[in-house]
Amino acid sequence: MQRRTFLAQAAAAAALCGLAGRARAHHGWAWATEKEFELTGPIKAVRLGNPHGELTLGAADDGEDWLVEIGQPWRNRRAGLTDEILKIGTEVTAHGHRAVDPAQRLVKAERLVIAGKDYNLYPDRTS
Amino acid sequence: MEAGVLAALEGSGLAAALRGSTWLYPLVNTAHVLGVALLVGAIAALDLRMLGLWAELPLAVLSRVLVPVAATGLALAVVAGSLLFAAGASEYAASPLFRAKMALVALGIANALGYRLLRRRHPESPTLLRAAGTISLATWLAVLTLGRLIGYF
Repeated sequence: MQRRTFLAQAAAAAALCGLAGRARAHHGWAWATEKEFELTGPIKAVRLGNPHGELTLGAADDGEDWLVEIGQPWRNRRAGLTDEILKIGTEVTAHGHRAVDPAQRLVKAERLVIAGKDYNLYPDRTS
Repeated sequence: MEAGVLAALEGSGLAAALRGSTWLYPLVNTAHVLGVALLVGAIAALDLRMLGLWAELPLAVLSRVLVPVAATGLALAVVAGSLLFAAGASEYAASPLFRAKMALVALGIANALGYRLLRRRHPESPTLLRAAGTISLATWLAVLTLGRLIGYF
Protein backbone atom coordinates (compact mmCIF):
# COMPACT_ATOMS: atom_id res chain seq x y z
CA MET A 1 0.00 0.00 0.00
CA GLN A 2 2.74 2.43 1.03
CA ARG A 3 4.71 1.58 -2.09
CA ARG A 4 1.72 2.02 -4.38
CA THR A 5 0.95 5.40 -2.83
CA PHE A 6 4.51 6.57 -3.32
CA LEU A 7 4.54 5.48 -6.97
CA ALA A 8 1.25 7.26 -7.65
CA GLN A 9 2.55 10.44 -6.03
CA ALA A 10 5.76 10.26 -8.07
CA ALA A 11 3.74 9.77 -11.26
CA ALA A 12 1.50 12.74 -10.45
CA ALA A 13 4.53 14.94 -9.73
CA ALA A 14 6.20 13.88 -12.99
CA ALA A 15 3.02 14.66 -14.96
CA LEU A 16 2.81 18.15 -13.43
CA CYS A 17 6.50 18.82 -14.16
CA GLY A 18 5.90 17.82 -17.78
CA LEU A 19 3.14 20.40 -18.10
CA ALA A 20 5.25 23.10 -16.48
CA GLY A 21 8.17 22.36 -18.80
CA ARG A 22 6.04 22.69 -21.87
CA ALA A 23 4.67 26.02 -20.72
CA ARG A 24 8.06 27.46 -19.83
CA ALA A 25 9.62 26.55 -23.17
CA HIS A 26 7.60 29.21 -24.99
CA HIS A 27 8.34 32.26 -22.85
CA GLY A 28 11.33 34.46 -23.47
CA TRP A 29 13.45 33.61 -26.47
CA ALA A 30 13.72 29.82 -26.33
CA TRP A 31 11.26 29.35 -29.21
CA ALA A 32 13.26 31.63 -31.52
CA THR A 33 16.56 31.05 -33.31
CA GLU A 34 19.82 32.46 -31.93
CA LYS A 35 20.61 34.15 -35.23
CA GLU A 36 19.92 37.87 -35.62
CA PHE A 37 17.12 38.45 -38.10
CA GLU A 38 16.03 41.56 -39.98
CA LEU A 39 12.83 42.33 -41.84
CA THR A 40 11.60 45.46 -43.59
CA GLY A 41 8.12 46.29 -44.76
CA PRO A 42 5.02 48.42 -44.29
CA ILE A 43 2.65 47.87 -41.35
CA LYS A 44 -0.50 46.14 -42.67
CA ALA A 45 -2.21 45.53 -39.33
CA VAL A 46 -1.60 46.54 -35.71
CA ARG A 47 -2.77 45.10 -32.42
CA LEU A 48 -1.29 46.89 -29.44
CA GLY A 49 -1.75 46.28 -25.73
CA ASN A 50 -1.40 43.43 -23.25
CA PRO A 51 -0.18 40.73 -23.24
CA HIS A 52 2.05 42.14 -26.02
CA GLY A 53 1.69 44.11 -29.23
CA GLU A 54 1.72 42.57 -32.71
CA LEU A 55 2.48 44.15 -36.07
CA THR A 56 1.71 42.52 -39.39
CA LEU A 57 4.42 43.56 -41.81
CA GLY A 58 4.39 42.95 -45.55
CA ALA A 59 7.93 41.77 -46.31
CA ALA A 60 9.71 44.09 -48.74
CA ASP A 61 11.26 41.25 -50.76
CA ASP A 62 8.33 38.93 -51.52
CA GLY A 63 5.32 40.87 -50.21
CA GLU A 64 4.36 38.04 -47.86
CA ASP A 65 3.06 38.87 -44.41
CA TRP A 66 5.08 38.44 -41.22
CA LEU A 67 3.87 38.73 -37.67
CA VAL A 68 6.22 40.82 -35.53
CA GLU A 69 5.82 40.59 -31.77
CA ILE A 70 6.66 43.82 -30.00
CA GLY A 71 6.41 44.77 -26.33
CA GLN A 72 3.64 45.17 -23.80
CA PRO A 73 2.57 48.81 -23.27
CA TRP A 74 5.30 49.77 -20.76
CA ARG A 75 8.09 48.32 -22.91
CA ASN A 76 6.85 50.07 -26.06
CA ARG A 77 6.46 53.33 -24.12
CA ARG A 78 9.99 53.03 -22.71
CA ALA A 79 11.34 52.49 -26.24
CA GLY A 80 9.53 55.64 -27.40
CA LEU A 81 6.96 53.87 -29.56
CA THR A 82 3.52 55.47 -29.68
CA ASP A 83 0.21 54.48 -31.29
CA GLU A 84 0.72 57.36 -33.77
CA ILE A 85 4.05 55.95 -34.97
CA LEU A 86 2.73 52.39 -35.24
CA LYS A 87 -0.05 52.97 -37.71
CA ILE A 88 -0.93 51.18 -40.91
CA GLY A 89 1.37 52.10 -43.78
CA THR A 90 4.41 53.02 -41.65
CA GLU A 91 7.60 51.47 -43.05
CA VAL A 92 9.34 49.46 -40.32
CA THR A 93 12.60 47.55 -40.11
CA ALA A 94 12.38 44.97 -37.34
CA HIS A 95 15.55 43.50 -35.80
CA GLY A 96 15.04 40.40 -33.69
CA HIS A 97 14.78 36.64 -33.81
CA ARG A 98 12.44 34.50 -35.89
CA ALA A 99 10.68 31.36 -34.73
CA VAL A 100 12.76 28.17 -34.96
CA ASP A 101 9.98 26.57 -37.02
CA PRO A 102 10.71 27.81 -40.56
CA ALA A 103 7.04 27.46 -41.49
CA GLN A 104 6.17 30.22 -39.03
CA ARG A 105 6.62 33.74 -40.36
CA LEU A 106 6.94 35.05 -36.83
CA VAL A 107 9.57 37.39 -35.38
CA LYS A 108 10.08 38.63 -31.86
CA ALA A 109 11.47 42.14 -32.19
CA GLU A 110 14.38 43.48 -30.14
CA ARG A 111 14.58 46.82 -31.94
CA LEU A 112 12.54 48.65 -34.57
CA VAL A 113 13.92 51.24 -36.98
CA ILE A 114 11.36 53.72 -38.30
CA ALA A 115 12.36 56.67 -40.50
CA GLY A 116 16.00 56.20 -39.53
CA LYS A 117 15.26 56.30 -35.78
CA ASP A 118 15.99 53.43 -33.38
CA TYR A 119 13.30 52.21 -30.99
CA ASN A 120 15.05 49.72 -28.75
CA LEU A 121 12.67 47.36 -26.90
CA TYR A 122 15.50 45.37 -25.30
CA PRO A 123 18.43 47.71 -24.62
CA ASP A 124 20.25 44.91 -22.73
CA ARG A 125 20.30 42.61 -25.77
CA THR A 126 22.49 43.02 -28.84
CA SER A 127 20.41 43.56 -31.94
CA MET B 1 -21.23 34.84 -29.35
CA GLU B 2 -22.40 37.67 -31.59
CA ALA B 3 -19.62 39.64 -33.27
CA GLY B 4 -21.30 42.86 -32.10
CA VAL B 5 -21.33 41.74 -28.46
CA LEU B 6 -17.67 40.76 -28.68
CA ALA B 7 -16.71 44.09 -30.25
CA ALA B 8 -18.67 45.99 -27.58
CA LEU B 9 -16.97 44.01 -24.81
CA GLU B 10 -13.56 44.61 -26.34
CA GLY B 11 -14.30 48.31 -26.86
CA SER B 12 -15.43 48.86 -23.26
CA GLY B 13 -13.46 51.20 -21.01
CA LEU B 14 -12.52 48.34 -18.72
CA ALA B 15 -11.10 46.27 -21.58
CA ALA B 16 -9.13 49.24 -22.89
CA ALA B 17 -7.77 49.95 -19.39
CA LEU B 18 -6.64 46.32 -19.09
CA ARG B 19 -4.96 46.33 -22.50
CA GLY B 20 -3.09 49.57 -21.85
CA SER B 21 -2.15 48.96 -18.22
CA THR B 22 1.29 48.36 -16.80
CA TRP B 23 0.23 46.53 -13.62
CA LEU B 24 -3.50 45.77 -13.83
CA TYR B 25 -3.26 43.17 -16.61
CA PRO B 26 -0.38 41.19 -15.07
CA LEU B 27 -2.12 41.30 -11.66
CA VAL B 28 -5.41 40.04 -13.13
CA ASN B 29 -3.36 37.38 -14.91
CA THR B 30 -1.80 36.45 -11.57
CA ALA B 31 -5.24 36.19 -9.96
CA HIS B 32 -6.31 33.85 -12.77
CA VAL B 33 -3.26 31.64 -12.22
CA LEU B 34 -3.86 31.66 -8.44
CA GLY B 35 -7.46 30.58 -9.05
CA VAL B 36 -6.35 27.76 -11.33
CA ALA B 37 -3.67 26.70 -8.83
CA LEU B 38 -6.19 26.50 -5.96
CA LEU B 39 -8.76 24.73 -8.13
CA VAL B 40 -6.48 22.15 -9.74
CA GLY B 41 -4.37 21.61 -6.61
CA ALA B 42 -7.39 20.89 -4.43
CA ILE B 43 -9.41 18.98 -6.99
CA ALA B 44 -6.50 16.76 -8.09
CA ALA B 45 -5.93 15.69 -4.48
CA LEU B 46 -9.64 14.96 -4.02
CA ASP B 47 -9.84 13.09 -7.35
CA LEU B 48 -6.87 10.89 -6.40
CA ARG B 49 -8.59 10.08 -3.08
CA MET B 50 -11.73 9.16 -5.04
CA LEU B 51 -9.59 6.90 -7.23
CA GLY B 52 -8.40 5.00 -4.19
CA LEU B 53 -5.27 6.77 -3.00
CA TRP B 54 -4.98 7.56 0.75
CA ALA B 55 -7.92 5.22 1.42
CA GLU B 56 -7.26 5.45 5.17
CA LEU B 57 -8.27 9.14 5.15
CA PRO B 58 -12.04 9.69 5.34
CA LEU B 59 -13.36 11.21 2.10
CA ALA B 60 -15.85 13.35 4.01
CA VAL B 61 -13.07 15.03 6.01
CA LEU B 62 -10.92 15.68 2.93
CA SER B 63 -13.94 17.02 1.07
CA ARG B 64 -14.64 19.55 3.82
CA VAL B 65 -11.24 21.12 3.13
CA LEU B 66 -10.73 20.55 -0.57
CA VAL B 67 -14.19 21.30 -2.00
CA PRO B 68 -14.35 24.90 -0.66
CA VAL B 69 -10.73 25.53 -1.72
CA ALA B 70 -11.48 24.24 -5.23
CA ALA B 71 -14.74 26.21 -5.47
CA THR B 72 -13.00 29.42 -4.34
CA GLY B 73 -10.27 28.81 -6.89
CA LEU B 74 -12.84 28.25 -9.63
CA ALA B 75 -14.68 31.46 -8.73
CA LEU B 76 -11.43 33.46 -8.75
CA ALA B 77 -10.36 31.91 -12.07
CA VAL B 78 -13.76 32.68 -13.65
CA VAL B 79 -13.82 36.33 -12.49
CA ALA B 80 -10.20 37.06 -13.47
CA GLY B 81 -10.56 35.00 -16.65
CA SER B 82 -13.61 37.01 -17.71
CA LEU B 83 -11.54 40.21 -17.45
CA LEU B 84 -8.73 38.70 -19.53
CA PHE B 85 -11.34 37.56 -22.05
CA ALA B 86 -12.82 41.07 -22.30
CA ALA B 87 -9.39 42.53 -23.17
CA GLY B 88 -9.25 40.43 -26.37
CA ALA B 89 -12.78 39.05 -26.74
CA SER B 90 -12.99 38.47 -30.49
CA GLU B 91 -9.57 36.83 -30.67
CA TYR B 92 -10.35 34.44 -27.80
CA ALA B 93 -13.83 33.66 -29.11
CA ALA B 94 -12.32 32.70 -32.48
CA SER B 95 -9.71 30.37 -30.92
CA PRO B 96 -10.62 26.67 -31.14
CA LEU B 97 -8.42 26.02 -28.08
CA PHE B 98 -10.34 28.60 -26.06
CA ARG B 99 -13.71 27.18 -27.14
CA ALA B 100 -12.61 23.65 -26.29
CA LYS B 101 -11.40 24.90 -22.92
CA MET B 102 -14.76 26.53 -22.14
CA ALA B 103 -16.60 23.34 -23.13
CA LEU B 104 -14.36 21.35 -20.78
CA VAL B 105 -14.88 23.86 -17.94
CA ALA B 106 -18.63 23.31 -18.38
CA LEU B 107 -18.04 19.54 -18.36
CA GLY B 108 -15.93 19.76 -15.21
CA ILE B 109 -18.58 21.78 -13.38
CA ALA B 110 -21.40 19.50 -14.61
CA ASN B 111 -19.40 16.46 -13.46
CA ALA B 112 -18.94 17.92 -9.96
CA LEU B 113 -22.60 18.86 -9.62
CA GLY B 114 -23.78 15.58 -11.15
CA TYR B 115 -21.60 13.61 -8.73
CA ARG B 116 -23.10 15.45 -5.74
CA LEU B 117 -26.62 14.63 -6.96
CA LEU B 118 -25.95 10.96 -7.77
CA ARG B 119 -24.06 10.37 -4.53
CA ARG B 120 -27.27 10.98 -2.56
CA ARG B 121 -28.98 8.17 -4.46
CA HIS B 122 -25.97 5.82 -4.51
CA PRO B 123 -23.91 6.76 -1.46
CA GLU B 124 -21.93 3.50 -1.42
CA SER B 125 -21.15 3.14 -5.12
CA PRO B 126 -17.40 2.75 -5.73
CA THR B 127 -18.06 2.92 -9.48
CA LEU B 128 -19.60 6.37 -9.15
CA LEU B 129 -16.66 7.51 -7.04
CA ARG B 130 -14.08 6.26 -9.55
CA ALA B 131 -15.96 7.52 -12.62
CA ALA B 132 -16.47 11.01 -11.19
CA GLY B 133 -12.84 11.16 -9.99
CA THR B 134 -11.47 10.04 -13.35
CA ILE B 135 -13.59 12.48 -15.35
CA SER B 136 -12.71 15.31 -12.98
CA LEU B 137 -8.96 14.71 -13.03
CA ALA B 138 -8.82 14.32 -16.82
CA THR B 139 -11.09 17.32 -17.42
CA TRP B 140 -9.33 19.83 -15.17
CA LEU B 141 -5.85 18.81 -16.35
CA ALA B 142 -7.06 19.25 -19.94
CA VAL B 143 -8.54 22.66 -19.04
CA LEU B 144 -5.20 23.74 -17.55
CA THR B 145 -3.27 22.50 -20.58
CA LEU B 146 -5.60 24.15 -23.12
CA GLY B 147 -5.54 27.38 -21.13
CA ARG B 148 -1.77 27.46 -21.30
CA LEU B 149 -1.68 26.60 -25.02
CA ILE B 150 -4.08 29.41 -26.04
CA GLY B 151 -1.20 31.88 -25.82
CA TYR B 152 0.97 29.94 -28.24
CA PHE B 153 -1.30 28.91 -31.13
